[in-house]
Amino acid sequence: MKPVAENKKHRVPILSTQGFSALKFLSPTLVIFITFVLVPVFFSFILSFHKWNMFSAARSFVGLSNYSRLFRDPEFWQVLKNTLVYTLGTVPLNMGFSLAVAVLLDRRIFGKKWVRTAFFAPVVISPVAAAVIWRWMYDPNFGLFNYFLGWFRLGPVNWLNDPRSAMFALILMGVWKSFGVNMVLFSAGLQGIPESYYEAAEIDGAGKWTRFWRITVPLLSPTTFFILVMSMIGSFQVFDTVWVLTSGGPLGSTKVMVFYIYEHAFKFFEMGYASAVAYVLFAMLAFLALIQVKAMKSSVLDAT
Amino acid sequence: MRRSAAVFLVVLISILRCGKPSDQAADGRVTVVFWHSFVSSTIPALNDLIVQFENAHPGIDIKTQYVPTGDALIQKLITAVQSKTAPDISWVHANYIESLVEADAIYPMSRFIQGRNGLNAGDLADIYPALLQYASWKDTLYSMPMEATNLALLYNKTLFSQAGLDPAKPPQNWDELHGFAKKMTVDSNGDGKFDQVGFFLPVFPAAGPNGPWMVWQWFPYLWQAGGAYINDPQTEVLYNGPGGRAALALWRNLYRDLRLNAFTTDYDVAFASGRLAMVMDGPWNLPRFERLLANVDWAVAPLPAGPDRRATIVGGEYLTIFKQSANPDSAWAFLKWIIRPDVQAKWAIKSGYLPVRRAVLNDPEFQVYIQANPKYRAFVEQMEFGESQKPIDRFGLEIDRHIAEAIENACLGQKDVAEALEESAQKSNRLLQSPVGE
Repeated sequence: MKPVAENKKHRVPILSTQGFSALKFLSPTLVIFITFVLVPVFFSFILSFHKWNMFSAARSFVGLSNYSRLFRDPEFWQVLKNTLVYTLGTVPLNMGFSLAVAVLLDRRIFGKKWVRTAFFAPVVISPVAAAVIWRWMYDPNFGLFNYFLGWFRLGPVNWLNDPRSAMFALILMGVWKSFGVNMVLFSAGLQGIPESYYEAAEIDGAGKWTRFWRITVPLLSPTTFFILVMSMIGSFQVFDTVWVLTSGGPLGSTKVMVFYIYEHAFKFFEMGYASAVAYVLFAMLAFLALIQVKAMKSSVLDAT
Repeated sequence: MRRSAAVFLVVLISILRCGKPSDQAADGRVTVVFWHSFVSSTIPALNDLIVQFENAHPGIDIKTQYVPTGDALIQKLITAVQSKTAPDISWVHANYIESLVEADAIYPMSRFIQGRNGLNAGDLADIYPALLQYASWKDTLYSMPMEATNLALLYNKTLFSQAGLDPAKPPQNWDELHGFAKKMTVDSNGDGKFDQVGFFLPVFPAAGPNGPWMVWQWFPYLWQAGGAYINDPQTEVLYNGPGGRAALALWRNLYRDLRLNAFTTDYDVAFASGRLAMVMDGPWNLPRFERLLANVDWAVAPLPAGPDRRATIVGGEYLTIFKQSANPDSAWAFLKWIIRPDVQAKWAIKSGYLPVRRAVLNDPEFQVYIQANPKYRAFVEQMEFGESQKPIDRFGLEIDRHIAEAIENACLGQKDVAEALEESAQKSNRLLQSPVGE
């Protein structure tokens, strides 16, 4: 081996003795990562140019036809639209609510820890178990929601079996399930804002709202941006709650991207087509992540 | 460093190699691995069956592997075939036989039927033809039915009396079905929620796991109205014809009038708690219902006749033998034993499934049993007008999905019946007319 010049970051060449010991320690994770992540990812990329039903040994190369079929399939556009509606529904609600709770809890109140734990609890519950509970709450005959509506002489609303309300029901549950994480992130962000800024503003005669809009919001912006992108990525990948609550119905009104991929892969055994859709989803998410990285860099520069 | 590299490689290889099963035990006994998805209430009967087989065949051990739901089973089978760990014999839904044949994963039955330990023509002819039709693909028999099922009408006699109907006279035709169902649908306090529903139709999201189940239950109505699924050269679907329109109109009307979109309780729970008056179901739930419905006075009747004829759908579960099996002949011995009339009689009595062949009806033990169990007898008698759909050569799963979409669209009132069927048929025909090999 040619000795590698020491650079600033002190890189250790993998094939040196030291590098090899590191590799040994990393190997369990590496083996798992390579077999269960890297290889399938590459395999699925190759598959997206093939037609394969998983059963037969023969895979026929079809070039870009899976991709062109996808853009011609009206169902794909419907599914994309559903995914966007879900994302545009959950993300703002989620962020608004989690910011409000974080700000309200960012002072000394009795039982603060308990309240925070209660809000965080949905994140910890298994999504499928939570969705089963929500299915009961949405039940048109016995559900809690219609029971509450009954107090105001409204309803009964057929939450999950009506194409007009099913997506809304999913969004509501999505917000409930995930806003706890964002609340914690916002809380951490709030604690990073020095108290002195608020004191100074108060002395200058700034009211509560002014302080919130002029100090809290701008100084939270790196956190806000991070949460925005992460929530969008999460919403694009929603599957388990959809599976349990509506199975993509009624009339396909809640069929989202990952559900569509699952259906083509494991119901119709069209692995090539499913892989192509997965890569389109990947491209969209990669684009979001790229914006995030770029924006983080510039906001960090602004802050310093 | 070189030594640690060697150790690393050895560890890696042993990780990758582990889990290779051995089929032959040291004492010459043969193990036959059998995968299935029987519902849990059937498992005791299955275990009993296997013990009987093993006692009669001391050289063969049957090892069962349970996979919940037939749809998950096929996904496991695919992976198993790919990784060369397929079972010797497996229970499969008929609509997946095509995929297994395409993968060259299973033997045609002729290999065994015409073999040394074969089956004579009389035995084969004794099996209900509707079942053998499902067990085949492109006119070649690839599997054998292990048990038969069909759909009948379960009804609550008490609710019939309460509505002023004669509990000894279940609905005989579509008009009666609709009329009785409406009569037994009750909203006692007028809050817009029904306290009791007359009849249940399984209308599920077409994309969901129950979509195929919905289509399966719709087929008898298609036939009762004189409709058909597809033409013979398989170039065009026929389910959008007058029969299909009549069948779907009946479903749409029932769904609308009974407001079934607000009916979200599991039908078996609703039936057991006296909130549901009539429901379609198969015999596989009989052992479970005997316990669940201990406090309900219920009976089983044939499905009502349609404008054209009486019909029900016959189904079953099918056993198929894998080419990767090291002991296909032992697997066949198990299969052949299961379809023996006396074994079928015992298995049917224990499991609640129906026998796959007519000879069982003359079995003395079976005759005593059906006389004592009128509910079960109603299912057996229905086999007379049981029908099945010949599996089509390609796009079976997709076309079933298109039918499911039509049912969902019409019942939820999104499209009118003719429009929903026409749109669905156009999609199916486009598939059927696409060039072969695409």
